[in-house]
Amino acid sequence: MPSRSIDLPQGTLDLLILRTLSPEPLHGWAVSERIQQISSDVLRVQQGSLYPALHRLERRGWIKARWGTSENNRRAKFYQLTKAGRRELEIEQDAWQKLTAAVSQVLETV
Amino acid sequence: MLLHDLLFRLRSLMRRSAAENELDDELRFHLERQTDKYVKSGMSEAEALRRARLEFGGFDQVKDECREARGVSLVETLVQDLHYSARTLLHSPAFTACAVLTLALGIGANTAIFSVVNTVLLNPLPYPNPQELLAGRQNDSLPNLKDIQRQTSSFASSGGINIEPMDFTANSEPVRVHGAQVDAGLLATLGVRPMLGRWISADEDVKGGPRNVVLSYPFWRDFLGADPHALGRAIQLSDKSYTVIGVMPRNFTLPRELADVFVPLWAGDPEAAPDRAVHSMHSYWRLKPGVRLAQAQAEIAQADRRLAEEFPDTERERGTFLIPLHEWLVGDVRSALLVLFGAVGLVLLIACANFAMLLMARAVARQRELMIRASLGARNGRLICQRLTESTLLALVGGAVGLVAAKAGTTLLLALKPAELRRFDAITMDARVFLFVFAISLLTGLLFGLLPAWSASRGDIAEALRENARTTATGVSRSPLRSFLVTAELALALILLAGAGLLIKGFLRLRSVDPGFNSANVITMYLQLPGTRYPQIPLQTNFRRELLDRINAFPGVHAAMITDLPLAGNFVEHRVVVDGQPTRAVGAEPEVQTLSVMGDYFGVMQIPVRAGRNFSAMDREGQPRVAIVNEAFVRQLVPGQSPIGIRIDWAGNEPHEWMTIVGVAGDVKHSGLNQPVDPAVYAPFSQNDEAWRKWMTLVIRTQVPVAGLVEDVKKQVWSLDSQIPVSGIQSMDDLLAVSVAQQRFNMSLLVSFAVLAVALAGVGIYGMVAYRVNQRTHEIGIYIALGAQHRDVLRLVMKDGVKLGVLGIVLGLAGAMALTRVMVSLLFEVEPTDPAILIGVALLLGAVAMLAGYIPARRALGIHPITALRRE
Repeated sequence: MPSRSIDLPQGTLDLLILRTLSPEPLHGWAVSERIQQISSDVLRVQQGSLYPALHRLERRGWIKARWGTSENNRRAKFYQLTKAGRRELEIEQDAWQKLTAAVSQVLETV
Repeated sequence: MLLHDLLFRLRSLMRRSAAENELDDELRFHLERQTDKYVKSGMSEAEALRRARLEFGGFDQVKDECREARGVSLVETLVQDLHYSARTLLHSPAFTACAVLTLALGIGANTAIFSVVNTVLLNPLPYPNPQELLAGRQNDSLPNLKDIQRQTSSFASSGGINIEPMDFTANSEPVRVHGAQVDAGLLATLGVRPMLGRWISADEDVKGGPRNVVLSYPFWRDFLGADPHALGRAIQLSDKSYTVIGVMPRNFTLPRELADVFVPLWAGDPEAAPDRAVHSMHSYWRLKPGVRLAQAQAEIAQADRRLAEEFPDTERERGTFLIPLHEWLVGDVRSALLVLFGAVGLVLLIACANFAMLLMARAVARQRELMIRASLGARNGRLICQRLTESTLLALVGGAVGLVAAKAGTTLLLALKPAELRRFDAITMDARVFLFVFAISLLTGLLFGLLPAWSASRGDIAEALRENARTTATGVSRSPLRSFLVTAELALALILLAGAGLLIKGFLRLRSVDPGFNSANVITMYLQLPGTRYPQIPLQTNFRRELLDRINAFPGVHAAMITDLPLAGNFVEHRVVVDGQPTRAVGAEPEVQTLSVMGDYFGVMQIPVRAGRNFSAMDREGQPRVAIVNEAFVRQLVPGQSPIGIRIDWAGNEPHEWMTIVGVAGDVKHSGLNQPVDPAVYAPFSQNDEAWRKWMTLVIRTQVPVAGLVEDVKKQVWSLDSQIPVSGIQSMDDLLAVSVAQQRFNMSLLVSFAVLAVALAGVGIYGMVAYRVNQRTHEIGIYIALGAQHRDVLRLVMKDGVKLGVLGIVLGLAGAMALTRVMVSLLFEVEPTDPAILIGVALLLGAVAMLAGYIPARRALGIHPITALRRE
């Protein structure tokens, strides 16, 4: 429900996309569904920003796209992590964890 | 990573339509899936579609952002914006013309000056490794140059050159040509080789060496018909036969001298060549690679000391100073050019300020369009980009027009012919000039387009909108950027005006300097007697006397002769001893200019004889030797005494043949109007004992037409000797004008820049007041309806303008005080902070500013209340 969901903090969308794509290639709709599902509907991806983000990641060479057939037998564009993307994912994941750990530490102590 | 990025962008760009389709498919697929999902969860198809669409947001906007993310949009947007800009600019031709013209003026003037700066200051000298080349500041003699070269190790080579007129006699009319008397090292020093044949070799450059000649390209072309077999031919130069051994390349020029033929000094002037005391040669030096100027200078100083010890008679006070050749060549003109370049830069700034104000006014006029676009979702950045494209497009067009204007401008500059620029017969527009134009146009467009665009995005437009709304009651509406620009324009214009005013004052001072003679109606001609046929003084005297008698027999003509004319740049200098004064150390006697005359020279030139008497026909050979000195001589050498009757002679003349001073002539500005007068001694040609004074300049005061007179004089010369060329035909008025050409050049340019600046600043103020009137029509209408007087209305619309004007002028005065100091070297007897000039230009600019503001303000008076109220 919209009331429960929160908007993504700036800059985390890229990280989430990379993470979502790490097990297997997905098309754009599936990426947004997956993020929503896994986060138990808390995180809602603005579809308006999902696609520009995908194209930006593709330009950076972190993901690559190919056309394939979707689960409902339609032509769909699948995105897949590249080697560079995997490295980037690790870096960002690491940074994120440090950040959140530090933030919660502050929140709990002070 | 960068490469990947670039390739990706390129690929996206190349397969743009395919990518567009794919993007479309991708997004549509998403919508479909989302709709499916909602249908499955039990919604109606229509409801599901509506919901999916709503969630997705603006389809086109997302596509736009995707494109941007892929990096296509950069180029695409630019093309789009260019199209759009070109279209809208063509729709408002008046605005476009104003903007382009404003920038074309600024950029054109800058480009013209930059072309000169580029050619004169930036282009390397036309010699290999020019940074190794040095020039001697003083002239020197061949033996000294050779000794220094031998005693030093800093130099790869050195060369000397002295230009003497030579008579070329082969064709029907004898021609005076510039003969370069050189030593063999000259060409190696410059690093140039002849185009045909060879240069003078070192073993020929000795006493009794062969009389060989190397020709300049123009001489070879004009007099030898570009004969490829000219080598080995003999030509007659000053009555001697020379063998042609080489021809110089077409584009070869000497650093500073003009030469038609090159002969060894030993062949051209065998008497001067071994004479250590004849310091007549310019010297050029090439440093060995890696040697620094200071090292070389130190070595030369040592050599100088040795020479001074060894030859105290003539070399006691010697001091050879070397300067980099380029610096030596541009030395005088450099500061002038840099000042002009700075001035023209200020003009560009003013033009840019006007440009920015035009853009701002246009932005206000187009506010409705901009608002609509903004409300349609165009982002601020996009709008700024669009406006930048427009301003840059305008600036580039302005630059192109400016380039054309500059081309015409440089032709004009050269026509003014300042002496130092005369050796550049063409100011070239090379790649650097084009790059310069492109760079300043681009920079102007971006920077001064960004300024108003940025200020608009920060609320000036909103301000403008509010102003136009009826709520403007008190009208305390100001655009800070506009105020700043107007103030800056006025300040800059004032600085330029001050500079121009100072130069005008200096120039008028210079022109009003009494040269010491009356230049009106005096024509001059130069003659030189060939040494071969006039070796002795009596022969020379006979020729001179006969020629002068014949010319003076013409009706309405008064003629005389002198060795060197004032302001012509030449004189012979001797050390002098005064009889009865304590003897000075040899070589330390005072130097004076020595001028030989024949006939009533002082009468012809109308130089007053202040004391004693003029020369008479009795002062001739066989009579007691006499001299006339100038006032400077009396002041400096025999102060407090009556000079008449004092005896003088040249130092080193043993035993002395004293000349008795019989008169004192008024001071003449021999070396230039802005130069001090040096002591001078005039003595009759006929009592002269120096046979090498073979040249003379005829000075003829006449009321008859000059052209016919010149022909008649030539006829008389050639009836006496058909082999003597007559050259240097010019009036004293011309000589006077040429002597101040550089100052006239500086002044003309700075004045035209100042006029341009004032005009531009006036337009700026006009625009500001006109804008204000336009903006407040409504308010003014109410004022007038309420019975406001003309005065009140004027005050209302001009108040801000006057305030800014005063502020600008005050700031400009401060700027002028600070900046005109750089002009000191260009000013003649004017302080850079001359209060009369500063106050004068401030008043002038104030008047122009008031006028420029008053014209549009008057329109406010004509506003009819009813029309004004209806307008909205």
